[in-house]
Amino acid sequence: MQNSLSRVLPLRTAVSTSAGLAAAAVNFLAAVEVAEYAGGQSAWLAILVAGVLIVFAGSNFAELSGLFPSAAAIRVWIRRGVNDQVSLVSSFVYMFTVVFVIAADAFVLGHAFSRAVPAVPALLWILALLGFVTWSNSRGIKVAGTVQDANAFVLLGTLMLFSLIVLLRTPHLGQFHYLNLGHNWFEAIALGIFIFVGFEWVTPLAEEFQDFRAIPKGMFIALGLIAIAFGLFSLTLTVAFPHAAVLKNSFVPQLLVGMRALGPFGFWWMAFVTLTTAGTTFNGGLLSASRFVYALARERALPAWFARLNKKLVPQNALIALAVVSFVLAIVVYLSGQYLFLINAGAGVESFMYALSTVLVISLRRREPNRERSFRVFGYPVIPIIIGVIFLGLGVEALLTPTGKSGFPWALVFFLAILVLVFFYVRLAVPRLKAKRSTLASASQK
Amino acid sequence: MTLLDALQQFVTECNQNARLREMNRDWTRRIQLDPDDTHHHHWLVSDAGELSAGEGLVKNPDMLIQAPEDILTQIFSGQMTPTEPYNAGDLLVRGQQDDMMRLDILTLLIWGE
Repeated sequence: MQNSLSRVLPLRTAVSTSAGLAAAAVNFLAAVEVAEYAGGQSAWLAILVAGVLIVFAGSNFAELSGLFPSAAAIRVWIRRGVNDQVSLVSSFVYMFTVVFVIAADAFVLGHAFSRAVPAVPALLWILALLGFVTWSNSRGIKVAGTVQDANAFVLLGTLMLFSLIVLLRTPHLGQFHYLNLGHNWFEAIALGIFIFVGFEWVTPLAEEFQDFRAIPKGMFIALGLIAIAFGLFSLTLTVAFPHAAVLKNSFVPQLLVGMRALGPFGFWWMAFVTLTTAGTTFNGGLLSASRFVYALARERALPAWFARLNKKLVPQNALIALAVVSFVLAIVVYLSGQYLFLINAGAGVESFMYALSTVLVISLRRREPNRERSFRVFGYPVIPIIIGVIFLGLGVEALLTPTGKSGFPWALVFFLAILVLVFFYVRLAVPRLKAKRSTLASASQK
Repeated sequence: MTLLDALQQFVTECNQNARLREMNRDWTRRIQLDPDDTHHHHWLVSDAGELSAGEGLVKNPDMLIQAPEDILTQIFSGQMTPTEPYNAGDLLVRGQQDDMMRLDILTLLIWGE
């Protein structure tokens, strides 16, 4: 294909998009969770190990993205590498992950602002922000890419700076055991995966880059920045707040770090960063997921109702349906306080997706050996296979990790329920939808 | 039907539709079509909503679309939505996603669901 497009995206956008999509407000709580399972000050190392593993998964995504640069991304890769039904099931489950992250961020937002402004109920903050983002999306108003990008850098920069300030003020730093691995360190790595979730969602932008190699470069730089920022943040949490229970029960570790770093100004700055981070998560999640639902409706995998457009040419029904589902899930999670199952389920789904990416790389090397690849994974096939097996194990571990006092792995139940629901929908409902609309199309041609 | 016939039909449908012309009045784009089997290039241009099409290359395209010629013909004649081959990996695009979405919406508004 020719290479003379008039408008293309730069490498900076690949970095900021990858970092921005991974940077969710719920990551603050995920860092606390990692610290709890790591057993203390070695949490930073668990996040670093998770980051290194993710780099290898990222190289799988880079090869797949260079092979089929498409906004439909996993929908295309799985369809070409396995089959249509597996592709549809995986795509639906992946889309639910977006809703999980929105609900989890709503939980963090609600707690942060009920602490900062107690007079306003938390659910009202969630409804207001989600409602505003849904309205602006439905009007076709797009948050400028620079705003979305700036938020990622502000969040990561704030975490690094505030963490360093707190660390430098903490006495007797030499007394801590930074390499002391706890009994549940493997679980800590599995949950550490969640902090990087979403870095690969830059691959749907592949069509907009002149040089496809910007995608892997951008992903790897972003992963490094996330690992440094959240590694420092988790280290600060474990050093400055040695009693994990205090952090866990507060639900606002980022505000406590802000307060410790710069007093009231640090507290309010962190509250502001929480608001903008949740806002960009809502915006990016609803925008991409609603377009995905629209595309599925256009290919007759969902009812045509989801492809209806408003006057601004926005798929409004898809947008509102996703916003309502996200809000209902956010209410349930906020009132029950059971946010951990979203983190565990999100980590599990993503780990399985990373394992599946190994299968796709191998399958497509065999099925499409002559197709151009702008990036090739490291150490094929041994390293991708090892990484695939590791992520499969981490996914199972994340889902089996207890989410409450009962010790019951609710994330596993939640994941299986969604998987079964989607499986039967794809097996039973999708063929009927496609047949019905083919009949209508034939009738209209006659 | 050839790809050129399909494109000309598409152009006529768009230009005769007042709603589409109104919708596209802020849309000026040069689109290059590259059939990956025949490499018989075609182009589609929107000049403030006024569409035109032809054979050959277009200078400084905003968007490149690559697919087998048969699929491109089916898309621009309304026998297939762009989303189907796109989600199957048979249709590849280089350019802004909003422009791809716009093209899909045009086919939706001309030929329905």
